[in-house]
Amino acid sequence: MFKKVLIANRGEIALRINRACHELGVATVAIFSDADRLSLHVRHADEAFCVGPGPVMRSYLNIPNIISAALISGCDAVHPGYGFLAENARFAEIAKDHGLTFIGPSPAVIGAMGDKATAKRLMAEAGVPTTPGSGIVANADEARAVCQKIGYPVLLKATAGGGGKGMRAVTAPEELATAFATAQAEAEASFKDGRMYVEKLILNPRHIEVQVLADEHGGVVHLGERDCSVQKPSHQKLIEEAPAPELDPAVRERLHDVATTAARAVGYTNAGTLEFLVAGDDVYFMEMNTRIQVEHPVTELIYGVDLVKEQIRVAAGEHLGFTQDDLQAHGHSIEVRVNAEDPNNNFAPAAGTLSTVVFPGGPGIRVDTHVYGGAIVPPFYDSMLAKIIAVGRTRESAILRMERALSETHIEGVNTTVGFCRELLAEPEFRAGGIGVGWLPAYLARRAAAV
Amino acid sequence: MTEDVIATRARALAGALAEAGFARLRVRDGETEIELRRAPRNGAAPGSVFAPAAGAEAAAAEKPPERVADMVSSDVVGIVRLLRPAITEGQDLEGDRELAYVETLGIRNPVRSRGAGHVLAVFVTEGQPVEYGQPLFAIER
Repeated sequence: MFKKVLIANRGEIALRINRACHELGVATVAIFSDADRLSLHVRHADEAFCVGPGPVMRSYLNIPNIISAALISGCDAVHPGYGFLAENARFAEIAKDHGLTFIGPSPAVIGAMGDKATAKRLMAEAGVPTTPGSGIVANADEARAVCQKIGYPVLLKATAGGGGKGMRAVTAPEELATAFATAQAEAEASFKDGRMYVEKLILNPRHIEVQVLADEHGGVVHLGERDCSVQKPSHQKLIEEAPAPELDPAVRERLHDVATTAARAVGYTNAGTLEFLVAGDDVYFMEMNTRIQVEHPVTELIYGVDLVKEQIRVAAGEHLGFTQDDLQAHGHSIEVRVNAEDPNNNFAPAAGTLSTVVFPGGPGIRVDTHVYGGAIVPPFYDSMLAKIIAVGRTRESAILRMERALSETHIEGVNTTVGFCRELLAEPEFRAGGIGVGWLPAYLARRAAAV
Repeated sequence: MTEDVIATRARALAGALAEAGFARLRVRDGETEIELRRAPRNGAAPGSVFAPAAGAEAAAAEKPPERVADMVSSDVVGIVRLLRPAITEGQDLEGDRELAYVETLGIRNPVRSRGAGHVLAVFVTEGQPVEYGQPLFAIER
């Protein structure tokens, strides 16, 4: 086991990693920016180094200062958390070059999964279903031929695209020529690259992801799925749950099988998540996240497994402490993200001082947070203040518990998503379970129209 | 720098101020200047950022000198490498010159005086690990 781990992150995940290390008897080193000097993760760690000013490029993404802090303090491993450098293959490589174990998969796997085209190809080779589509299509006629094969609706996408530019949805053949011309012109204007491809458009799919865990000795297990379909129009997740409600058992089993097969095929080690779009009985691989995820607690609460501790143990070369047969899920868990943002104003992020902070407690409630009364929310970082996680014997009991927990939560000083999430939990469609990713944007549109 | 950052940075610098025994210390960081003043002997002004600094009471009893200095801080995380011979307290600097290095991953990052002055304080020793923003030298102009 490691002696000392540098936690290359901030906020609640830095605290989460610190807790896992301390329970394993491993010392910790925190890093922080000028803006986070008074943050809780700095106080909880055994040592702490300021690595730069507030802006992330100069602090939490400052690879030389972070590696230097690890070396100076005598660390033997680095845990990247999520975000920041977690999926940066170069950082993993540099850490390795300096004799530090990167707590995550190999740099090669991080790099392969980080490139969408490579990831899709590798997954397809491993027999994982991916969204039907084409390679580069030269013109509208070539695109039409592909569309006839995969069926409408489709998405025309620019290979260089981003932020919705150079992208058009096409629902019928007669729209194709115009859509192709405008999308291509937009791509040429925006990216100086007019290369286009076609992908099947999955309408209002569910976002369901599978947690996998693999050691360096060939042990691979899955820890079931999470449903993260409640997403803001920006595709950021807001409410997650496990297991996925109203999911056909055959589809569930297929997702689990596909995930472990894929993890084996790419030589995956450590914790990872395969994200899928699910539409009816159809399942399409979207991407693989080669890190711990924000919503990992919902899995932990129903499986009784500490995923962060397992990450550390596996990275230290230990075997997984269990086989697939040992893993049994119990009950249902749901997570609500408490963000410093205004649901009535396109979720605009807020910064400031938190005058009041009261979190819930009691049976079946877990709160992962880094904030406290009087804490400052700097403008530089992610707006998430806390994750409230509820677990119950059934989905209904977990939701009731979450409603109770949110009613106990009081945060003043900035706008938060607490009240809005209570509203969502009460919605009959959410209550029924099985909603798609289009549900929340549609709900927001209805809500705005009603005001 | 935002106000929050200035406040937290000032709090960190207050320790160095007390240690060096100055009554007043001006700190330059890029375009921002922070000036720290030791609270009067009886009763610090409310909200004074350096009031809680350790050692402030003991030092105040000796009526410390009023001096103004620029703080030269580390821009990187690394190990301090002093020059040979090392810059010492009381030394006069004729112009912008190297004061020390901070070694990060084998790269020596020079620490410069950014102008002439008088070395009021040296806060670090050879081989000492330092973090970003950590005071290294106080230079009186």
